[in-house]
Amino acid sequence: MRNNSFARIAAVVLLAFAVAVPSFAARGAADFTRFVAIGDSISAGFGAGSLNERHQVFSPPAIIAQQVGIALCTPAASATDNCFALPLISFPGLPRGEIVLGVSSTGALAPVVVPGAGAPEMAGFGRPYNNLAVPGFTVGAALTLTGAEAFSGLGQVVLRGLGSEIDQAIKLNPTFVMVWLGANDVLGSVSLGDPSTLPSTAAFTQQYGAVLAKLVAGAPNAGMVVGTLPTDFRSLPLTSTLPPVVFDSNFQPVLAGGNPIPLIFLPAGSTTPAPVPTGSVVLLSALPKIQTGVGMPPQLKAVPPFSALPNVGTPLTDADVITPTELTTFQTRVAEFNAAITAAASANNIPIVDIKGFYDRIASSFTTPIIVGPFSFNRAFATGGLFAMDGTHFSDIGYILFANEYIKAINAAYGTHIPLASITKAFQNNDPDTAKAVGITMTPEVAAQMISIFNSVTTTAPPPPARRRSVH
Amino acid sequence: MRRFSRTWVVIAAFILVGGSAFGSGFSIFEQGAKATGMGGAFAATADDPSAIFYNNEFIGDPNDAFSSGARGFYKHHTFVPPNAYAVVPLGGNLTFGVGLMTPYGLRTDWDNPWIGRASSRDANIKVVSVEPALAWQSSSGVFAVGGGVEYRRGRVILTSNVLEKNPFNGRISDVAGNFLSSSWKSGTTWNAGVLFKPGTWRIGAAYRGDMDLKFDGDLTVTQIPTGIAPFDALVKAGLPPNQGVKTTIPFPAVASIGIATTAIPNWDFELDVTNTTWSRFKSLTVNGNTSGVLISRAENWKDTNSYRLGANHMVNPTWDVRFGVLYDENPQPVEAVSPLLPDADREGATFGVGYHKGPFIIDATEFVLHFKRRSTNGTSSDLNGTYKTDANLVSLNLGYRF
Repeated sequence: MRNNSFARIAAVVLLAFAVAVPSFAARGAADFTRFVAIGDSISAGFGAGSLNERHQVFSPPAIIAQQVGIALCTPAASATDNCFALPLISFPGLPRGEIVLGVSSTGALAPVVVPGAGAPEMAGFGRPYNNLAVPGFTVGAALTLTGAEAFSGLGQVVLRGLGSEIDQAIKLNPTFVMVWLGANDVLGSVSLGDPSTLPSTAAFTQQYGAVLAKLVAGAPNAGMVVGTLPTDFRSLPLTSTLPPVVFDSNFQPVLAGGNPIPLIFLPAGSTTPAPVPTGSVVLLSALPKIQTGVGMPPQLKAVPPFSALPNVGTPLTDADVITPTELTTFQTRVAEFNAAITAAASANNIPIVDIKGFYDRIASSFTTPIIVGPFSFNRAFATGGLFAMDGTHFSDIGYILFANEYIKAINAAYGTHIPLASITKAFQNNDPDTAKAVGITMTPEVAAQMISIFNSVTTTAPPPPARRRSVH
Repeated sequence: MRRFSRTWVVIAAFILVGGSAFGSGFSIFEQGAKATGMGGAFAATADDPSAIFYNNEFIGDPNDAFSSGARGFYKHHTFVPPNAYAVVPLGGNLTFGVGLMTPYGLRTDWDNPWIGRASSRDANIKVVSVEPALAWQSSSGVFAVGGGVEYRRGRVILTSNVLEKNPFNGRISDVAGNFLSSSWKSGTTWNAGVLFKPGTWRIGAAYRGDMDLKFDGDLTVTQIPTGIAPFDALVKAGLPPNQGVKTTIPFPAVASIGIATTAIPNWDFELDVTNTTWSRFKSLTVNGNTSGVLISRAENWKDTNSYRLGANHMVNPTWDVRFGVLYDENPQPVEAVSPLLPDADREGATFGVGYHKGPFIIDATEFVLHFKRRSTNGTSSDLNGTYKTDANLVSLNLGYRF
């Protein structure tokens, strides 16, 4: 009898085990009681050139928190409130105003910087923020910088000198940790157009391993999830909008005698301009220069309409161009970084989100659009819907889709049923009939503010992406 | 004498409504809720639903990055389909009848805020028919045959919003409202039926022809401002102009067979099967005179069957009670399930009472119709989720037998 009940209990336990434990034995549990995110600008919800509350609430960790039923902290929240705290910064944000699509002083549509700056709204919050992601931070920065350093950029706002991202995450005694790090180890070098500034694979492997080891040691029972890095240069407007040849206002090549005209640049260490090699990436950040004639070969000086441009014949810099050789170096290195991420995560039973695959889908979105409900998205600059006006960071819609990749991976690994977040969170809902809808309603005040921004634009040139890796 | 008179009413009613469409698609559920209550058209008088109430809920698909978390509801409307008929014995074995019917109709009017507004806010198909018919019965009363013409008028009204990606604020904005309204258009078709009554049995068949109604109307586009002047200017330049539109709505043929018995004293039992050729509805296409194709939705519906079983019990010479159950297949393949018309297999139950004294007939029926939950199973190109619908039809019919 005794044996019999024991067998029954054992059978029930085994059955429960078989049902409850997913095939991949993910560490910890999908318990979001104390949910913490570490990462960089993507996890922070960085907008175009600016971190501000309009987009921070769309940061992937904030989206996930809401999908699991955790409210976002308001600026008035106290440390004991059970809410998801973000280092909220008022619009137009820091380190400078956001880049938005607007009307330049010449009347043309152009990226313009919203004048002014925002201010931290929760600087005195009595515990570490739940979203500890700092724009610009590399893996190494997440391990070491505390925000006390003058050069830590927005780290001063997010970390406040209270400890590194990892240390503050552990201080919160987290039940679940979301990690997406490593993009700046690559992107900084991409922005510079220079793979020589990439960390070595050995250094990256050591640092990424150290991040996970520290988290696992500090929060041994917490669930965790990490993501891989993008390898396809066609996935960002920054690196895929401009052709390496003279182009028209639609970014289409201008032909001479049936052939495109290569742009010219000054290769590193050279004093002689050379044609930009076929297959090169010309960074979108060079657009304002090119619009003045920079990069156009000297023979166009006499050819209208180029003759009207003042700087025809001046070469682009090496930093504006990523040559095919450099591209190969980048892609090989990032593939090695991804192998390091996968190995470190697997060794700790941490589920891995295929963010590389997400960016791959974005890269091919001109041929296979990303369809969400009745809407179609692609990687086009400004009009594609996925990216902010710096051509690098996501739009709110892009952030929602990024967050959903994490949710899908969490559901698969932990057997949970967290609903995906809807892009309707990014509806304007300006129709009076639908203004009650869930999502963002543009109040008359905000609308007026937007209009005044467009009407009072003083900056015409889109600023280049940040060249300093510490401040995106 | 009373018996004779009743027979005439029955036959005429049968011709008028026996073959009417039942339920699925955009049919009105039943031409004769009492008929359903009794399990079929054959023994029914031509009473009709006096009012229809719908309850509909849309629940977004939690695995869909658009509809996740969304809910939607129909606005509450009370539908009052017009119905009336008159039957006149012509002498000899002939009877003439004329009916005013609502064989089809649809309204899916979603209560805003509504996530599917890009697909449809309000879809409204209005139909009304006039049906003169002639019936002949053998002198023995065992055999009857009849036929008639149906003159059908209809109109279509479709309302939706246009939403666009707005690069100025990174949002998706409502930029315009579309209002498509046709004028009334008409067509004709025919119907016929036979009825055989050996002893205590009745066996019958009926047919109603198919029809295409070709509509023309107007598209009115109303811009919705976003508050961002340069974007609104771009939108204004890109919106289609107001223009004439054309569309064709195919209506199905409906064939029914049924059997009934009065072998048990004071009881009628009936069973019938109805087939509707909904496969005629291949697509919904609206063409604009200026802009070309404005709406093009594959529908690819299937023919459907419905099954009804019912009983009428004569409690005493003046009171009847009726019960019935039904099952009605839906014609929509899963890909065609949309906010425009989210259909589902239906099961229903009815309860009715009848009172007749002298020339007066009063019937009341309560008809509860439950739609099975219908999920798009992630196959929808515009809105994935699950639709839950219930309908409640209340009938009150007053008749006078000349």
